Amino acid sequence: MTTIDPFVRFQERLTAVGGEAHAVAGITQAAEVISSHPALTDGEVIVAPNFAACQPWGAILPLLTSKGIKIREAGSPASVADAPAGISGAELAIAETGSVLLAENSLEARVVGMLTLTHFVLVREERLLPMLEDAGNLLQKLTVAGPDQRRYISLVTGPSRTADIERTLTIGVQGPRVLCVIVVG
Amino acid sequence: MKNKIPPQQQESLKSAAVEDDANPTDEHQPFEQRLEHALADGQMHSALGRFAPSWRASRQAVFGYEEDEYGPDYSFTHMRSLLREAKDYAIEHQSELLAQFRAMAEAAGAIVYEARTAEEANRYIYELCTRKGIDLVVKSKTMVSEETELNHYLEARGIKAVETDLGEWVAQLAHERPSHMVMPIIHKTRQQVGTLLTEATGREISRENVAEQVAVIRVEHRKSFLNAAMGISGANALIAESGTVMMLTNEGNGRLVTSLPPVHVVMAGYDKLIGTFAEAMTQLRLLARSATGQHITSYTTFITGPATSDKEMHIVLVDNGRSKMRADPRFKDALRCIRCAACANICPPYQQVGGHAFGYIYSGAIGLVVTPFHHGIEAGAGPQSLCVSCNACETVCPVEIPLPSLILDVRHRAVEAKGLPWLKKAIFGALARPRFFDVAVRFFSLAQLPVTRGSNYVRTRSLGILGKLPGMHAIVKLAGWRSLPAFATKPLRDRVKGQVLSPSKISSKDELGRSTITVCYFAGCMTDRLFPEMGEAVIKVLRACGVQVTFPQKQNCCGLIALNSGDWADGATMARQTITTLEQALEKSKADYILSASASCVVSIVQDYMKLFEDLQQPGWLRRARALAEKVMDFTSFMDHVLLANGTKLSVREGGERTDDVIVTYHDSCQSINCLGLRSEARHIIQDVLGLELREMPQSDVCCGFGGSTSIEHGEVAERIMNNKLNNAESTGAAVLVADNPGCLMHLRGGVDASGRKMRVLHLAQLMAERLA
Repeated sequence: MTTIDPFVRFQERLTAVGGEAHAVAGITQAAEVISSHPALTDGEVIVAPNFAACQPWGAILPLLTSKGIKIREAGSPASVADAPAGISGAELAIAETGSVLLAENSLEARVVGMLTLTHFVLVREERLLPMLEDAGNLLQKLTVAGPDQRRYISLVTGPSRTADIERTLTIGVQGPRVLCVIVVG
Repeated sequence: MKNKIPPQQQESLKSAAVEDDANPTDEHQPFEQRLEHALADGQMHSALGRFAPSWRASRQAVFGYEEDEYGPDYSFTHMRSLLREAKDYAIEHQSELLAQFRAMAEAAGAIVYEARTAEEANRYIYELCTRKGIDLVVKSKTMVSEETELNHYLEARGIKAVETDLGEWVAQLAHERPSHMVMPIIHKTRQQVGTLLTEATGREISRENVAEQVAVIRVEHRKSFLNAAMGISGANALIAESGTVMMLTNEGNGRLVTSLPPVHVVMAGYDKLIGTFAEAMTQLRLLARSATGQHITSYTTFITGPATSDKEMHIVLVDNGRSKMRADPRFKDALRCIRCAACANICPPYQQVGGHAFGYIYSGAIGLVVTPFHHGIEAGAGPQSLCVSCNACETVCPVEIPLPSLILDVRHRAVEAKGLPWLKKAIFGALARPRFFDVAVRFFSLAQLPVTRGSNYVRTRSLGILGKLPGMHAIVKLAGWRSLPAFATKPLRDRVKGQVLSPSKISSKDELGRSTITVCYFAGCMTDRLFPEMGEAVIKVLRACGVQVTFPQKQNCCGLIALNSGDWADGATMARQTITTLEQALEKSKADYILSASASCVVSIVQDYMKLFEDLQQPGWLRRARALAEKVMDFTSFMDHVLLANGTKLSVREGGERTDDVIVTYHDSCQSINCLGLRSEARHIIQDVLGLELREMPQSDVCCGFGGSTSIEHGEVAERIMNNKLNNAESTGAAVLVADNPGCLMHLRGGVDASGRKMRVLHLAQLMAERLA
């Protein structure tokens, strides 16, 4: 049995399935990772309509704008489809599998992660937990009936993939081709 | 299933039926034709042949990693017993959990509909479409919709159902059924896929570039996702504590199907119920790892009611035979299934024929088990005949379903429903009458002489005119690839009759101060009548180890051959005879053990007899079978766990210079490794005790293909599996192939003879006897 630093484990598992994992000290550095990413050559990024107001991630938007990156709010699915880049916030990350847990109810927030080509996911370092049991615990809490019930929750582990044709692995099918998780201290 | 269909749609129903008739993979085609088509499909054969070992390696790696990193609580063995418990609870408490799930889901705004039959499920969805004027639905993968044949039902009524899972969509384009529960188009080449996509899109799509082919689906389905008014998905679990639907996917289409259209319909069998999130996490750990060797799928989604107020969610729960399974004390275990397809991936005959023949909609071992309940015994009768009872499926099932014995139960039901072929009836009937059988075999051992011409084999070339007699066609065909064994003119029972088989050295008494061990030797009908030299070797080795051997002359067949063919009547007769004979022999000889060098017979006596008498509700015989089982041991275990462990020393010839003749490779017979858990014992004997060089063959633990009567009924499948084994054995360069089961040895020996390979095929006891000083 080994005890490994959670981020090291998280990164190992996520990169093994073709995802990207970064650990940064703060939101400024997170903005740096995003703005310098090849997906941003187009200079535009999609976010959920309430993203600006959400804590703590909303603060990243002015940082990106200052680097010349346009922010577009997700509207209809058609308008988001195949947009080069989108940013979401995650409730939790799980080191055991390299997964992030996204729990937005609104369709607009969800299509950011379903239809863009590169999906950036921000998660706080203290929300990086070791095992799937931790995800199970949070899922239990999030699904409790009430005004804050999360009705559509996804545990996302890497980009979309298929090996249906001759068992040849192809990354990027209906969902994103690139999944980039930024763990923010 | 034919409802009141409007006249203009009857046409499309008819033409769909015509299409089905022309489609050799469709389940409505007779089994024999699906099998013939499958055996001729070279592409599927090589794809499955590549997949099997690679899946085994990935699965081993992923479970090994989890256990290494997190400890024994995260081992496959431990996790599967946890999941089994959770699923058993859910099955036991189904009404409670269902009520809880329903209440929570409805509180979250979902509409729950309980469908007793496939027709009810299909009709509910169809009526929902008509009420809302929906004529296009997008689907993500759901086996239950294939079970109810939903697509067919909707399309006959003018509603288009588009599969959005890449493999399912390509299968749909080809008008074919998926050939595997998790990899629907494993039987298709990229060239075939490229051609199908070109035809479907009207654009020239690469026949070589898979990435380009995959990119097509993103473009082609975009409109469907955006325009379809209904999305239909499945569920991998229905979590009762919160009314949540759990769904595992990789491509991303599942999330689009369940998010974009305003109406979302979930189809799921009742067996998907599970109590808590904690239990669902265990299922999550086991499902992808068992299916594809992935740690987890790209997306695991948890849906609790419609996510937004403008959305509608329906959950259609399907019975369609599940409550019948639940009411059956044996088949209820099969409801634990989480649809991982590991039992298909590990199955040797499945590897040869694929899912169109090895199943009926549901394929793999679980398909053989559930088909009679969802689709009737007729649908299940053909596919179940392909099972060789190797037990590999049981070793990888993440919920510990006793698949091999359930398949034999299905076989028994098929035999009850359709009767046994006359030849089998004749053979089993003869075997069950020891005196008659004795006379008949002695007659044949003489009558065969013109054909065997003094050799130990019946070969095709020597069958001559005899081969043209009615009923001989199958025998001739079989002998073509596996020379048949000749009946021994002097069976083992004759060779030992009247002899005192005392220890040939006094070591036990002297060295250990213990009294001599006495065993009753149960040879089994194969060793007795076909390979008496194996029996003689067993006796020689035992005596050399200081063991006293007795041979009950009344012994006969243990009945396995009949039981495995679904003939419980003759099988039970032989079981009772065997129990009685061995009880009497034990009484008379005061033996410490009943020993058999046939692993199959041992498993039959110590495992199968108990189940048989439980099912026949004969508690007296059950008690006697249990008592007898305590005393029965197989040769390999006896040598290693008893004799060698007690310090018995075997005087063997020196290994000396490494000549080719002493290089050995070992085949793990299915009964030995999967049922008795033996692996290191024979290797210890060969390498450490005999001092010989042992070279491991690839996949030593995969079935040899004998499978009892399967090698006669499905000769081509058995031949292919056998060839894999012999090729693997030959690849080691070993001169000697060793195993501890006469059935395997007969099969492999016959294959070696018919193909002119240069290998000696020996029982472990024969190898040991040869090497005694």
